[in-house]
Amino acid sequence: MEIQSLYNLKSKFVAREVGNELILVPLTGNVAQMSEMFTMNETAKFIWENITETTTLEELENSMTETFDIDSETASRDIENFLNHLEVMFLKK
Amino acid sequence: MENQQNTIYLNIAGFSIMLYSNSNSNFELEEGYEPFISDKKTTEADITIRCFDDMPIWPFSQEELVFEAENEDQKFYSIFHARNDLGFLIYDQQNPGKVQQMAVLDKSFTKWMIFSKPNSENRLFPLKYPLGPIIMHYLTINSDAVMMHASCAFDGTQARLFTGFSGNGKSTISKLWSEVGNQIINDDRIIIRKEKDGYFVYNTPMYYKDISKRAPLGAIYLIRHSPENILNKLSGALAISKVMAFCIQNNFEKQFIQSRLNFFSDLCMHIPVCELGFVPDESVVNYVLAHEKGGDK
Repeated sequence: MEIQSLYNLKSKFVAREVGNELILVPLTGNVAQMSEMFTMNETAKFIWENITETTTLEELENSMTETFDIDSETASRDIENFLNHLEVMFLKK
Repeated sequence: MENQQNTIYLNIAGFSIMLYSNSNSNFELEEGYEPFISDKKTTEADITIRCFDDMPIWPFSQEELVFEAENEDQKFYSIFHARNDLGFLIYDQQNPGKVQQMAVLDKSFTKWMIFSKPNSENRLFPLKYPLGPIIMHYLTINSDAVMMHASCAFDGTQARLFTGFSGNGKSTISKLWSEVGNQIINDDRIIIRKEKDGYFVYNTPMYYKDISKRAPLGAIYLIRHSPENILNKLSGALAISKVMAFCIQNNFEKQFIQSRLNFFSDLCMHIPVCELGFVPDESVVNYVLAHEKGGDK
């Protein structure tokens, strides 16, 4: 999933912060999808919250290395894993 | 119910409901509602339901369709949203595709209009399934309450609520608790309310007759069948999302979801939530009693 595609999807969810985690509940028009809600750990929550209309992957990597004391290779891998994970979830929907 | 009336007051989960009919048309309620009939006519009703004995031309367009409740086998209801009102098309469960009733709910979620046609015996049942449970769900929207797919057993001190997917054993486990003297609050549908003294569970009218019940909620179990009894305590976002997944919800409006997230966040801070894999025999009762305070096995 591309980062801009993810930004476009954000408005279709309601988010609730619980400690360092985030719960995402999709707006849905069908009862079958009502149990499909997602929890995000601290890293995923950070990525979700910092994606804006104009965010680039490089900017996101830099923010992560500054916030979590990780190198850019780890940040890049975390972001890629996150986007792949979301893609699988959205394809399921 | 044999007696036909023009106005009936119900008390369901502490909510007061006034049903009344237009002009001279009479209506009836299924026998499951009988224990919930209230004679308190002086208090202002939380919601009013006006019953009509005919169905008008449906005023909503297909573009205004916002939600459909259906499974692989059949459609239960469709919701339309326009002019601040919600419109409900309720489908006949015995005749797929046939509209059984129409209903309109105003923007305050307190005024219903139900349009139904009398059956072949010229009897009118405005709360016929699935509209009755839909109304009960929307009763909870305006207050600190939710309706859950769950069973619940009360030991005289606290109620244990069991929820999970269909077939995971909700009826089985509540029956096991009843065999050791617990009162089954209900084995399918429960309303949870936050009240001054904590969280309370209530039953709701079913297709069979059962008395109205209320009990303090002590614990929530997410159940599944398992080769051995096993308990894991959940907390945080995981507990909230897993419990909320089994509440009855129509998630086409952000405000509905936000309200539910707020409710379950508070609920899971005050009421323990555990995953419970269980063997379907009496051993699970003793196992839960021995382990529920500690959480993990």
